[in-house]
Amino acid sequence: MNVKMLARLTLVGLFACVLSLFSQAQNKTVSGKVTDAKDGSPLAGASVVVKGSKTGSQTGADGTFKISIPASATTLVVSSVGFGSQNVEIQGKTSVDVSLAATSDNIGEVVVIGYGTARKKDLTGAITSVKAKDFNQGPITTPDQLIQGKVAGLQVINNSGQPGSPTTIRIRGNSSVRSGNSPLFVIDGIPLDGRNARPGLNASGLGQTPDANPLYFYNPNDIASMDVLKDASATAIYGSRGANGVIMITTKKGSVGAPKIDFSTNIGQNTVRKKYKVLNASEYKAALSSYALTAGNDGSDVDAQDAIFRKGYIQTYNLGIGGGNENGKYRFSLGYSDQNGVILKSNLKKYNIGMNGQYKFLESKKLSLDFNLLAAHNTDIGVPVTNDAGFQGNLVGMALQWNPTRALYKSNGDINIVPGESVVNPLAMSAGYDDVADITNIFATVGLGYKLTNNLDYKFNISLNTQTGVRKATEAPYITIPGVEGRGFGFYANSELNSQVLQHTLNYNKQLTSALNMTAMLGYEYQKFSYKGSGMSAQDFTNQGDVSFTSIMQNSSAASRSIYSWNDPSSELQSYFGRIGFNYEDKYLLTATFRADGSSKFGANNKYGYFPSAAFAWNIHNEGFMKGNNTFSSLKLRASYGVTGNSSFPAGSAQSQYTFGQQSIALANVANPDLKWESTKQFDLGLDFELAGGVLYGSVDYFNRNTTNILFNFDAIQPAPATKYWVNLPGNVKNNGLEVSLGAAIIKKKDLQWNAQFNIAFLKNVLENYNGPAVLTGAISGQGLSGASVQRLTSGQPLNAFYMKEFMGLDQSGNSTFRDNGNTLYYIGDPNPRQLFGLSTDLTYKKWSFVANFNGAAGHNIYNNTLNALIPIGNLGSRNIASSLIGGVVKESLANPITTSTRYLEKGDYLKLANLSASYNVGTLGALKNVRVFFTATNLFIITKYSGFDPEVNTDKNIGGVPSLGIEYIPYPAVKGFNIGFNFNL
Amino acid sequence: MKHIQKSAIALMLTVGVGFVSCTKLEEKLNSSLTADQAQSILLKSTDVSVLLQACYDGLQGFQSQDVATSLQENSSDESLVPTRGGDWDDNGVWRVIHAHTWNADHAQVGGVFNNLLGVVFNTTNVLNFSPSASQAAEARFIRAFAMYTVLDLYGQVPFREAGENLLNAPKVLKGAEAATFIISELNAIKAALPNGPSAGGPAYKANKDAADVLLMKMYLNKGAYGNRAAPTFDAADMNAAITIARSLSTKYTISANVWDNYAPSNDVIGKENIFTNQNIGGSRGGNVRAAWYKTNHYNMNKSGWNGFTTLAAVYDKFEATDTRLGVNYPDPAGVLPNPAKVNTTGFLIGQQYDLKTGAALKDRKGAPLAFTRAVALQESGNNLEVTGIRYWRYVVDNKDGNDGQPDNDYVFFRYADVVLMEAEAILRGGTAQGGNTALSLVNSLRAKRGATAATSVTLKNADQNSPDAGGVITILNERQREFHWDGWRRQDQIRFGTFLAANALKPVTDAKYLLYPIPNGALAVNPNLTQNPGY
Repeated sequence: MNVKMLARLTLVGLFACVLSLFSQAQNKTVSGKVTDAKDGSPLAGASVVVKGSKTGSQTGADGTFKISIPASATTLVVSSVGFGSQNVEIQGKTSVDVSLAATSDNIGEVVVIGYGTARKKDLTGAITSVKAKDFNQGPITTPDQLIQGKVAGLQVINNSGQPGSPTTIRIRGNSSVRSGNSPLFVIDGIPLDGRNARPGLNASGLGQTPDANPLYFYNPNDIASMDVLKDASATAIYGSRGANGVIMITTKKGSVGAPKIDFSTNIGQNTVRKKYKVLNASEYKAALSSYALTAGNDGSDVDAQDAIFRKGYIQTYNLGIGGGNENGKYRFSLGYSDQNGVILKSNLKKYNIGMNGQYKFLESKKLSLDFNLLAAHNTDIGVPVTNDAGFQGNLVGMALQWNPTRALYKSNGDINIVPGESVVNPLAMSAGYDDVADITNIFATVGLGYKLTNNLDYKFNISLNTQTGVRKATEAPYITIPGVEGRGFGFYANSELNSQVLQHTLNYNKQLTSALNMTAMLGYEYQKFSYKGSGMSAQDFTNQGDVSFTSIMQNSSAASRSIYSWNDPSSELQSYFGRIGFNYEDKYLLTATFRADGSSKFGANNKYGYFPSAAFAWNIHNEGFMKGNNTFSSLKLRASYGVTGNSSFPAGSAQSQYTFGQQSIALANVANPDLKWESTKQFDLGLDFELAGGVLYGSVDYFNRNTTNILFNFDAIQPAPATKYWVNLPGNVKNNGLEVSLGAAIIKKKDLQWNAQFNIAFLKNVLENYNGPAVLTGAISGQGLSGASVQRLTSGQPLNAFYMKEFMGLDQSGNSTFRDNGNTLYYIGDPNPRQLFGLSTDLTYKKWSFVANFNGAAGHNIYNNTLNALIPIGNLGSRNIASSLIGGVVKESLANPITTSTRYLEKGDYLKLANLSASYNVGTLGALKNVRVFFTATNLFIITKYSGFDPEVNTDKNIGGVPSLGIEYIPYPAVKGFNIGFNFNL
Repeated sequence: MKHIQKSAIALMLTVGVGFVSCTKLEEKLNSSLTADQAQSILLKSTDVSVLLQACYDGLQGFQSQDVATSLQENSSDESLVPTRGGDWDDNGVWRVIHAHTWNADHAQVGGVFNNLLGVVFNTTNVLNFSPSASQAAEARFIRAFAMYTVLDLYGQVPFREAGENLLNAPKVLKGAEAATFIISELNAIKAALPNGPSAGGPAYKANKDAADVLLMKMYLNKGAYGNRAAPTFDAADMNAAITIARSLSTKYTISANVWDNYAPSNDVIGKENIFTNQNIGGSRGGNVRAAWYKTNHYNMNKSGWNGFTTLAAVYDKFEATDTRLGVNYPDPAGVLPNPAKVNTTGFLIGQQYDLKTGAALKDRKGAPLAFTRAVALQESGNNLEVTGIRYWRYVVDNKDGNDGQPDNDYVFFRYADVVLMEAEAILRGGTAQGGNTALSLVNSLRAKRGATAATSVTLKNADQNSPDAGGVITILNERQREFHWDGWRRQDQIRFGTFLAANALKPVTDAKYLLYPIPNGALAVNPNLTQNPGY
């Protein structure tokens, strides 16, 4: 039913779209330029429409427009978002220049809120809106990278340098002790599932490959703005999914005017930002003789990192066609990007199609129809860089460990493989490993609206999101890992992720008296999520590699085969929500929201959760006593309080589940019928200001978040069918902090503009009132470290507090010494940054513009598991070691045990120039308009003392699902690079 | 145009109403069954064997190197895991077990507790599904075995009746009370259990003979469960054990080759085996391969993890002719010809050879791979890869495709144990039956093992680390020779009063280490548990 309906509605939309492509008879051309009244700078994207008709156009990047209009037309209406609208007489003219006055530089803009939009000046909540022009530059793979460093209190960590790698996103700190700290993503009003259908892979002998980014299907070039909802007034409307904040993504739409084509392309190149410092051949030989080791010098001189790292070329093409008239607008887009990773073979190809339209019907224009289709196909070629391999099993690890005096190739040019040897040649691993995932994502939404009265609008949305992923991986039998060598490995799996969203909303807007305006919204939403898949793996193929193992799984030995399928309990969420707002004389604003969320996941005793919020704002600058004040063009005080929830526990946890093993059934969990959402109460006090008509502007927010009913997979009461069960623990996770954003238009002249924005957040995180035993997480991998962990959750400490032995240096015999002889472990370090900051600046001189974006974090630690486990001194003689281990005052003993301690806990503070971009506005070039060429460099420099690959790292080292934070373990290294490109429109 | 507008509104209202109908939010599990579904399906098909299978699989934990067997062996005088530079530090978990300095946060202590009580739960849950009398008896036997192991390690056993609310804290059986309960359970179910291997039943299923052996274990250790520091042995208990041993002696004999009981096909050729955990080569089972992986050096046939060793004092307790020291057991898979004709079972000491080529092996630094007698808890020399005598308890399954899942069934109870328990019961005050003496029983075993006959038998030497001498054989040493690395050593040492005594790598330790602590996580959720004294 849903699918058919959707298909029909989509057809209607397409038909309408095609109709509007036929333009109308025209016989007069008017051109001109639209500029900002303040400084004469060109206004791009301003709308130019013939008054009383559907004919219109838009200005280009240089502010110029050209429009064909009926000869009878007398007036043009020129308008732009954030600026006023102006009627321009054109009788007898073929050229007009228009200067528009800003309604208010930053306060007039429209921002996206839950189930609607609002003018920024009407906001009562803490929302930061980032428009496309302010996005990060350079090769951006996923939308979340667009706003890294742009929003106070928003932390975005690129977990690794792999194309399509997931990011760790936190708004206002960690509030949950479980996974599920990521914000809710909402695309054009539709909340997403937040998972990715790429099947997981734990290939024989290698460990768990990292997840893929759940947003990597969405084309960053299709995004018009991203709005970050931070306080409860903004997020409580999302109820049980709102506690971690909400990021609203708005895609680009067509605009009124003749069809316009945008094209942009860029090509670039990435390299590893920093190679790990391990010994080179001569240093290695020196180390061998200094330790009087006779074995270990094989006479060659190689750099295994160079052997597996490469220049990764990137190319991106984007084409958009958009247009419309006052009856309807449409936009169609195509995107293709091909990104080679910096490790051999690694690659991500993305194919994107987007199609949306907004149409009005009937004479009265009361009926509206919107549709939005985003389709993507990604081909993701992975490399064996896993989260939890031992000393074997991670390609980067193999390269770091490779003895630099040992030839990578034999004299006959073959890869140097010694059968049965525990050291694996990274080139053999790379050549012998294939991992291809094909994932298709279809996200389709159709909306119908009807204006019931002048004050009352009804809107119905239905949205389907289907993801299917197929993953095939093979390991060749010549890879010398026990269990793989001589046997090979083939893996073939698929998974399907489906979600449906259905929304009804009623919006009411009425001027009750001349001074009092009321807005109200009522809504119903139904969401359904399902996730299922299957897979098989096998070994012992008789085929010697001419045909991929995944094409001939039947060729394997019967005993080696493993098959599985799964179908997660589906979850349904049914919600009723509303919002009411009052505006008294634009001085006093009041907003209240309420949401009731019923979820099939919740226990029988807690089916519905209720999430209220209230907020008040005071536009001080509109007060009589501020009249004549020239300092503040805007001054607003905001306060909000509300309750939001987090329900990211697995469906099926509230009731008993009997699961099927091989020829067996067993009760698999302890049911908890009282299970419910985790609840976060948040208070926010904010001040928005704008000085001297926008020369200086900014916001300051204090927030205090208190999370209770902590969702946790806690020790079951034995005897029990499982060791853990889901429960709401008593305890509080408290996050509080201060966010400051400042922007300045430093120079505002006709030919020279210079702007800068800076934001910083000071965060504090602590777990309190938790009485249970300390919860271990932060697993440390590697030989000699089985079962080791370095992080704990316990009362009085921040989440993921580091807990380990305190290293006191090497003794005279070269062995590690520890405080209290290592018998006591200490809370000693915190992976949660105390400060997050971002700095952006842009400079425009005539046709040149330059943009730089910095971001950073401070006050936190990173645990260097790579150094700890992979390249220790004991490797000397058979494998390589870290350069930092040689040349100390005391010579470290070869027998110094590998153990976790503060020796590997490092300061994580950093500031990086994430991207620097220069562009030149060529203007019109023949038929091409608004031609712009640009050059961007990414990760140009970084200031940090961290010794690993990159301080921006977060290897997934969870224990039993309790997430870790701030641990590096042989990640796919971070990259730097540049790209050049151009764009134009037609 | 008006009628279009009307029909549009009608359409929207239809659509709207059609979609607005509320859901009852019932959760569909999709790939698992709800309790009600499981009940009705299992009752209908009357096949609870699938539930029972999960109970047997729950015992697979014993096969891994880091679970129950680690607590039972590495804490004793015959096994340790030295830290070898980069290897096996693992935050000290292995060293504290051997040195008796563990605490209630120890991961193995917590993991074993949860694993065994999970088995106790699953077996009890079988009783909710109207099993046949024989299936119920099987479930209760597995439960008794798991509860006995919890009792042995922790001294306290949380227990739920079938159908109890899992969110409530269950009662806890302690010490002798728990022992009495387990004995009564075994007596209650024995008749209903399937026949043992002596009557054609498989050793990998709960059986009458297995219940007999467990009863003997309970009678022998009951005094220790009441008072671990100073166990007393009730003559009635000893006599009960002897009576059981007599009846078993009519059904079983000692194998000519002890290693058959540990071979890949030991479900067929292992004639002594009475209760095992089943492994099907290449198909299903537990981690029995840990038996060789945990001790093998990287460069040996079956590249291993270069960890576990035994102590020289144990090696010195064997005569050269004793087959339990190790034999050249022909590779059942026929892939390793062993041209150097070295032992492929038992103790590995000195230079090691490639079983395929016969070449002398080297370690990773190019030095000869020759295992030394000397070993330290924390190795520090250049030879740290090769220290310590290694031991192969199981015959390595080299069959292609069995690398992930070897075929060897994991042995819990073996008839030799019955013989030595009978001898011990006689020495502890039981009345010998059928004309046997402790000496005749011990010598009947030693004869099969190629060891010289004893002239007399006692319980133990004054120093448990010293070998038997002058024809006087001690039960404690004989049990070590027979069951080295089988998981009995801690229990035996506690019963014989030598567990806290010093050995080469540990001093005399505090009496609190006779029990493992209750894991902190378990204490936090069940107020009926009390922490064991001293922790």
